[in-house]
Amino acid sequence: MKASRAFAVTKRVLRDLKNDRRQLALIFIAPLLVISLFGVAFTGNVKDVRVVVVNSDTAVGNSSLSDKIISNFDTSVLNVAYANTEADAVGQVQNSSASAVIVFPSHFTQSVAARASGQTSIPQENTTVQILADKSNPNVSDPIIGAVNSAVAQTIQGLGRQAPVSVDSSNAIYGANAQFIDFFAPGIICIAVWQLTTLLTLISFVGERTSGTLFRLLASPLKESELVAGYAVAFGVIGITQSAVLLSVAVILFNVTIVGDVLLTFGVIALLAIVSEGLGILLSSFARREAQAIQFLPVIVLPAFLLSGVFWPIQAIPTWLRPVSYILPTTYAVEAVRSVILRGWGLDKIYPDVVALLIFAGVFLVLATILLRRRE
Amino acid sequence: MKDDASIRDLEKDFGGSKAVNKLSQRVKLKNGLVQAEVQIKEVHIKDDVCICNLEKDFDGFKAVNNLSLRVKHGEIYGLLGPNGAGKTTAIRILCGLLRPSSGEAYVLGAKVPDPGVASNVGYMPQELALYRNLTVHENLAFYGEVFGLSKRQIQTREQALLKLVDLETSKNLLIDELSGGMQHRISLACTLLHQPQVLFLDEPTVGVDPDLRASFWRYFEELRDAGITMLITTHYMDEARHCDRIGFMRGGSLIAEGSPRELLELTHTDSLEDAFLVYSQTEGLQ
Repeated sequence: MKASRAFAVTKRVLRDLKNDRRQLALIFIAPLLVISLFGVAFTGNVKDVRVVVVNSDTAVGNSSLSDKIISNFDTSVLNVAYANTEADAVGQVQNSSASAVIVFPSHFTQSVAARASGQTSIPQENTTVQILADKSNPNVSDPIIGAVNSAVAQTIQGLGRQAPVSVDSSNAIYGANAQFIDFFAPGIICIAVWQLTTLLTLISFVGERTSGTLFRLLASPLKESELVAGYAVAFGVIGITQSAVLLSVAVILFNVTIVGDVLLTFGVIALLAIVSEGLGILLSSFARREAQAIQFLPVIVLPAFLLSGVFWPIQAIPTWLRPVSYILPTTYAVEAVRSVILRGWGLDKIYPDVVALLIFAGVFLVLATILLRRRE
Repeated sequence: MKDDASIRDLEKDFGGSKAVNKLSQRVKLKNGLVQAEVQIKEVHIKDDVCICNLEKDFDGFKAVNNLSLRVKHGEIYGLLGPNGAGKTTAIRILCGLLRPSSGEAYVLGAKVPDPGVASNVGYMPQELALYRNLTVHENLAFYGEVFGLSKRQIQTREQALLKLVDLETSKNLLIDELSGGMQHRISLACTLLHQPQVLFLDEPTVGVDPDLRASFWRYFEELRDAGITMLITTHYMDEARHCDRIGFMRGGSLIAEGSPRELLELTHTDSLEDAFLVYSQTEGLQ
C-alpha cells in the first residue's frame, strides 16, 4: 500500500466536501440542530403542573398539618388549585385542565397527631395523603408524586420529628451534577457521526460507481486498500471535527461537563467514523443509484438510535433484544465516550469498547476492500 | 509473418467474393480467423493489445463471445457496433475491471488483469468519470497523484493538456460549472495526464456535438502520430473512418475486421454504416 496514493484520496474527499456547501451543512448544521433541539427539550425539568387540592382537613387550634404541607409544595413544579369535592377535582383531570388531585382526608391533622402519640386504632386512610394522578404520562406524574412526598417529609422534619430511616444520595461517585443532557449528549454525538459518515460514504461510493470515477480509479495503479484507507482517514478527520463542534455546543450552551480526556473522546469518535465508513462502502455494493442508497437510512439510524444506550441504558432493553445492541458498533462507542466524558475514565478502563470498535473497523474495512477487489 | 499473411489471404478471398457468395465465404472467414487467432496468441503478444478467444458470460448472457483481435503499436483500432454489442465489456476486461469467463487478453504483453500494466494504460469510461464538486485543476491533480506524478509533472502536463483541449482559462472552474462538451474534454485530459502508451476510450464522443467530435478525432490522430496505441469504441459509424482499422461487433462477436477502405470495398458500399449492415445481415442469415 502506498501512503501517497491513499493520501491523495483523503485530500480528494476533503476537497469535495469543502466545495459542496450542502454536504458541509449536512455534516455540521444537522447534528448541531439535533443536539440543540434535544438539549432544549430535555434539559428543562417539569414545571408549573396544575394540581387540584381537595382539603377536607380541619384545623387544630389555628393551624392544620395539611396547610403546612401545602405551603411546602415546590411551587415551581406544582401550580395548586382547590376544589371542594373530589368528584369536581377528578373532573378537572378528566377534562385535561389538571394533571392530578391531592386529597387530604377529614381530620387529617388530628389523626396524624393521634397516631404520633401512639394511638394505633386510627385508620390508615385518615392519615394518608391521596394522589390521584393522570399516570398516562409518567414524565409528569412522577415529578408530582416526588413534590408531594418531598413536602410531606419537609413538613414532618419541620415539626422536629425524624424518620427512623433516612437515605442520603447527595454524594456521587460519578456525575455529581449530571443532568439528563450530560447522559445523552455523548450518545447524540456518536449517533450523529455514525449516521452521517455511513450515509455520506454510502452516497459517495454509489456516486463513484455511477459517475464512472470508480472504474477510472480501479483501472489506475490505485489499490482498493488505498482507496478504502484514503476514505477512512478523511472520514476520521471529519468525525473528529464534527465531534469537536458538537462537544463545544454541548459545553457552551448546555453546560455539559467533560470530566475526562477530550482527545481520547476524539480518538474513539474517529474510530467510530472509520467503522461507519467501512459499513458505508459495504452497503454501497447493494445500491445502484443514490435514491436506493437513501433507503438504507432507517436501517442505519433506527437500531443505533434505539438500542445503543443513547437515551436509556442497555439494561432497560429486553434480554432477547440485547444481542442486537451488542452487534451495533455505536453501543461500544456511546459507552466509551460517555465513560470518558462523565466518569473521566482513561484508555485503561475503556479499552474493551475500543477493542470492540477496532474489531468492527478491521472487519468492515477488510470486507469493503475485498468487495471492491472482487471482479465479476 | 505467417499469421499476418494468412489473415490477409482470408480477407483477399472475401474481398474477391460476390455478395451472394458471402455466406459460405463468411464461414470460411470465421473459421480462418479462429485459426489465425490461435496462432496470434502464441506469436503476436508483442502487439500492444491482443485478445484471444475472449468470452464473458453474465448469468448465462454472453456479452462477449469468442472475440479475438489485436491492436498494433501506434494504431487506432475502432470497435464498432450497436449498443449491447459487447464493446464496453471487452474494454473493461482489457482495463482489468472484469475477469474473462474464458480466453485471454493481453495489454503491452501482460495478461490482464495485471495491476503492473495500469500505469501505462489510460481509460476513459463512457461516463465522464469526473468529480463534479472539484475544479478542473483539482480533478487533474487528483488523477495525477493517483498515477504517482510529482507536483511539477502535474503542473507541466496540466498546462499542456488544457491547451490541447482548449480549456486553459477554465482551470479553476468546478466541473459542474462547465458545459457538457467541456466536461468531455476534461475527461479526456484526465485520461491523458499520465502519458499512457495505450488508450482505451469507451464511446468518447457520445453526447458530444459534431464540432467537438471532429476536434476529438484530431486529438486522437495527433496521439496516434505520437506513437500511442488506441482502442476506441463507438456506435457512430461515420466517425470510424478516422481509425486505421475497424472491428465490427455484434452479439459479443467480431463479424468483420479491416481498414475502413477495405471494408467499404469488400461490401461495395459508400458508408461504414452500410458496410456494417451488410455484415450484420449476412451474420443474421448465418
